[in-house]
Amino acid sequence: MKKKSWHLDRRSFLRGTGLFGAGVSLGLPWLECMGSEKSKAKEVAKRFCAMYFGFGVSLPSAKGGDAKWRWFPKSEGADYQPSHTLEPTQPLRDKLTVLGGLSHPMGRKMGAHDTADTFLTGAYLNNKFLRNTVSADQIAAMSLRDKTRFPSLVISTDGGVGEPTRSSTLSYDATGRPIPALNQPLQVFNRFFGAGDEDLIAEHRLLQSKASMLDRILADAKSMRLRLGNQDQQKLDEYLSSVRQIEQGVERAQKWMEIPRPKLRDEERDMLRLDADDKEPLVFIRTMYDLVYLAFRTDSTRVATYQITNMADGSSKAGKFPQLEGFKSSLHSLAHDYDKPGGSEALGRWDRLMVEQFSYFISRLANAPDQGGSVLDNSVVLYGSSNSTTHNNSNYPLLLAGGANLGLKHGRHMRLPESVPLSNLLLTMLNCVGVETERFADSTDRLADLTRA
Amino acid sequence: MPINNLKWWRSAISLILIPGSQLLGADRLGERDEDSSKRVLELLRSNCFKCHGASDPKAGLRLDRLQVDLQKHADAARQWQLVLSAIRDNEMPPAKEKQLTADDRAYLVKWIEAELERFVESSSADRPALRRKLTRMEYQNTMRDLLQIEMDFARDLPADPISSDGFSNDSRLLELTPVHLEAYLKCARSALQRVVVSHPRPEQFHHRFDRSNVSSWLGEAHIASELGRQQQFLAKIETDYPEQGEFLVRVAVEAKLQSNCGFPLLEVSVGYQPDTEILFREFPVAEVNAPGDHLYEFKGRIEDFPLPVRGQGKIPGLVVRVRNVYDDGSKLPKGAKGKDKKFAYPAEPHLPVLHVQSVEFHGPTFDTWPPAHHANIVTKDASDQQVRRSDVRRILSRFARRAFRRPVLDKEVDSLLKFHDRIKGGFPKIEDAIRETLAFVLIQPDFLFFPGAQQPPSVQTKSRPTGDWELASKLSYFLWSSMPDERLFDLADAGLLKQPRILRSEVERMLSSPKSSAFLEQFPDRWLSLDLIDNVEISREFHPNFNARLKIDMVGESRAFFTEMVRVNRSIQDFLLADFTMLNEPLARHYGVPGVFGVKFRHVQIPAGQHRGGLLGQAGFLLAGSTGADSHPVRRAVWIRDRLLGDPPPPPPANVPSLDSIDPKFHQLPMREKLQAHRQDPSCASCHRDLDPWGIALENYDAVGLWRTEVRSKQGDKMVTSPVVAKDSFSNGSELDGPDQLKERLACDYGDQFARSLMRRLLTYALGRSLDLRDQKSVKALDERFAAAGYRMRDMVQLVVSSELFNKHAHEEKILAP
Repeated sequence: MKKKSWHLDRRSFLRGTGLFGAGVSLGLPWLECMGSEKSKAKEVAKRFCAMYFGFGVSLPSAKGGDAKWRWFPKSEGADYQPSHTLEPTQPLRDKLTVLGGLSHPMGRKMGAHDTADTFLTGAYLNNKFLRNTVSADQIAAMSLRDKTRFPSLVISTDGGVGEPTRSSTLSYDATGRPIPALNQPLQVFNRFFGAGDEDLIAEHRLLQSKASMLDRILADAKSMRLRLGNQDQQKLDEYLSSVRQIEQGVERAQKWMEIPRPKLRDEERDMLRLDADDKEPLVFIRTMYDLVYLAFRTDSTRVATYQITNMADGSSKAGKFPQLEGFKSSLHSLAHDYDKPGGSEALGRWDRLMVEQFSYFISRLANAPDQGGSVLDNSVVLYGSSNSTTHNNSNYPLLLAGGANLGLKHGRHMRLPESVPLSNLLLTMLNCVGVETERFADSTDRLADLTRA
Repeated sequence: MPINNLKWWRSAISLILIPGSQLLGADRLGERDEDSSKRVLELLRSNCFKCHGASDPKAGLRLDRLQVDLQKHADAARQWQLVLSAIRDNEMPPAKEKQLTADDRAYLVKWIEAELERFVESSSADRPALRRKLTRMEYQNTMRDLLQIEMDFARDLPADPISSDGFSNDSRLLELTPVHLEAYLKCARSALQRVVVSHPRPEQFHHRFDRSNVSSWLGEAHIASELGRQQQFLAKIETDYPEQGEFLVRVAVEAKLQSNCGFPLLEVSVGYQPDTEILFREFPVAEVNAPGDHLYEFKGRIEDFPLPVRGQGKIPGLVVRVRNVYDDGSKLPKGAKGKDKKFAYPAEPHLPVLHVQSVEFHGPTFDTWPPAHHANIVTKDASDQQVRRSDVRRILSRFARRAFRRPVLDKEVDSLLKFHDRIKGGFPKIEDAIRETLAFVLIQPDFLFFPGAQQPPSVQTKSRPTGDWELASKLSYFLWSSMPDERLFDLADAGLLKQPRILRSEVERMLSSPKSSAFLEQFPDRWLSLDLIDNVEISREFHPNFNARLKIDMVGESRAFFTEMVRVNRSIQDFLLADFTMLNEPLARHYGVPGVFGVKFRHVQIPAGQHRGGLLGQAGFLLAGSTGADSHPVRRAVWIRDRLLGDPPPPPPANVPSLDSIDPKFHQLPMREKLQAHRQDPSCASCHRDLDPWGIALENYDAVGLWRTEVRSKQGDKMVTSPVVAKDSFSNGSELDGPDQLKERLACDYGDQFARSLMRRLLTYALGRSLDLRDQKSVKALDERFAAAGYRMRDMVQLVVSSELFNKHAHEEKILAP
């Protein structure tokens, strides 16, 4: 028997869920969790998602012999001709837009390799000012968190938070603190789909006790503060704010406890490679994408970020990814050498490989039925980098996919002037998922063109 | 010295010190008035703004925007510090520009010094936090020592942030996020589930196997009792094995050794979860380094091993696998099916063999029930439901004292007891409620941070000064990355730890304990960035015979070398000039050093001309400074400047130009010419001209750290060779040629700088925070003491522990009333 099984799956497998096979959409989770409130049952589950890769892309001259490997398409508008690199996206051409010219104005003032941290925040960091600001995905999470079991899914290749300016996470909370990313598929799986405690009464007891713990800590905090100096009080405040956030989590958990964890279908379990790690880059990346897909498909969360690679160079697990997939040099060298003979093809091939993975991901979302269409139609998905070519903090290569039900119009290659900050795009994405705000970071306006045919 | 040309630029203030004695003269300019500020601004404007003004500021430094009032703009102090040293050391303005007059220079220097002094005096309120969260490793070790069980406690914790100093214990960066807190609680609960038992004495299983009882196995397996490189011994227990608790595997072997090769390596694995990719978990390998009969015992928690699912799989049952993983690196012979239709590999008589005589499995194991780790915490019989409230109080009080690493107050225990009272009704057994209350202790800030919150004055008596408790914690987290042991607790309790003689002997004792491996491995790992080795993938095309397992031995060499430096208190000059290194068999084979057998690292004398000895001949750093195919001189140079000299170059600027504009045949050039072409671009040259030569000098070492006289490179599909050129010159014209000159230059011309840099790294690690301006006087004093003591490594550790900075305790901090 070659079936892979995991803690939960084994149980579910024995129960014979999924006997009805593919194509049957089990009672959609958003129906279950919204209970009897029928009016809400019609509400579309809006999702926000962002993927990032470091060091930019291959951009040889559009006229030279290597033009084939130029990431951006040749022409603009609805009739754009896809570049060789972006060809894998074409089956979903009418579900996505290629964006050029955008960047964060603050990012353009920052160090060459420092901008991965601010991809979703638009903040300014240098070696003295290392405090980031809230990321767009977390603003979405604050607005959507009550609707799902988890407020957001934050993953990356390196995991944790990394070093400021070489962070290994895309997400920052309301105070600009980095949110540690998970980087082991099994960790993500257990958290989102793990069995939980089989014994509901015991689970309930532990939750009650946890609530009491948090209560007591907050009650004792006042006397503790008196004993601490200035800087240590800040550390205590940080701790207490975590306690309060978990307290909200306990409330949410109590609400969600009665609702069983989502069940995965057989074929969904079978294709997961939960033991994948940075030794097998493509399998690893694909598994991470699969987990985001499953988290969305089961409506376990409506917000996800995934830092596929970053710009930490030698200190990142992703630096060696190309070599492990048969390329001659590391990611940083590939990016650096794109303008050497043969270099634009080498980096271009890598770019295309990454685009293939992303296309796989959005096609999974597109094939998952959801209210009024597919999961993709109800999600806004951003894919891109904060360098155009390596060391250049402008003209980010970006793909925006999904959101047909949320007002986005697609099928074009749009080039925008540098005067338009990337935050305008992030603001538009936030508005699409129902965050009613006029501004995000240094935004000046919405990107109205995205919602016009 | 070429390095000085760049020194002023960088933001690391560590090497720049205020000469305090000059500050207190009668003509002190500290009385900052409008006129003096104006004159300073005027001087800067006419001499500096041309390059450090609004348009294209050199090195990204803008002086026109630098705040003059340091009291209001603390951030400006660092930059003023850079300006000060550049002006004082005549590095700026550069030689080709208009120079300051001697008077003007002196005026500027005095003014800046006085301002900085005032800043340092007035800004003590803005001190960095004195307490910090436990790192992942500290949490792991503390839980192990507190609960006295082995477990992967830190499994669900996210990785720790890395500071620009390279350390992962920076109090400023270590944050306690909700993700952490959730993981701490989850871990505390599952660990306590193991420690505090509430079930009756379980059934114990005992098995003994004299030969393998599995006849066929996955793949082409050769099952046998005589273990060479490709045989394995398999013992299967179909149903009678435990699913929780400790277990013991006992293996009796006879070792048959061979001359001119290493010793057999006994590897025992337990598990077999056939429906996942994870089949086994291995115990650490044991080296059998004497001929004849041996008995080995391996202990573990069965929950930590991949257990089979009962009733599933083709070959159900728990499997114990025994192998001999010694490998001399020679080609593996091919196997074939024998007449008995069984697969076999030929014997290899030149290699050592392990003959397995028997394998035993016992579990769950315990001497008494409930087990000791339970009884240590819950002092009453676990089955006794009549535990009184006073018993619970005593249990909590004892546990909290160890968890908080200090005496606890009655009212703190009251608070825990209150919690216990509130929840106990909801739990079926008394142990469940106690377990839950202990878990509560393990998410308190007093446990997760150290030194814990300060003692209120009521327990601060002369006989029990709280500084001792803090010192005990700081000491044990520095040298053990764990909580203090009973002896340190006792000394703190008696108020003796602060006595210099006792403190000194405690440091000696702690360095000699196996627990000091936390320091002896972690510090060189972070100081020398050894972990980067995993991020370089070695090119099979260029290094077809490289075995990735060697990376572990390479890290092992540098760790063992550092350990040896501390162990025998060697002069730190040996980091650069030593005529020895630490080798084991695989690494010695890699280097081509004969006669080293076995996996243990040992001191190996390196004859002149062998190109090893000292840090710069160690493959770990050389490999981390490579592309996987060839050397990466710039990365190696940055490492030397940053890690050895404490003087990292600035990061590359944004918008780096394309090199092809310089020379279209660029990619075909040898490395040194490549870098020289690179430096023709002025924006690259300003940094690279005094950076690259440090790395070029190591061109004799290839990507995997082997000595070479020829460089191999690819041109099209052809592999071509060119002679190594390890010679390059700095901007001042001085040359550096090859590793020997490099070592000599570092040791002779930069010896003091290296010593200062290492002192700052060690202090940063010991204090768990980066150093700043306010630490300078104390650090400078330490430098002097270190020099006076003769620059020895173990002394350095002692000096740091006895330093003013290490002994500045949180409880001495002024309490700021709300």
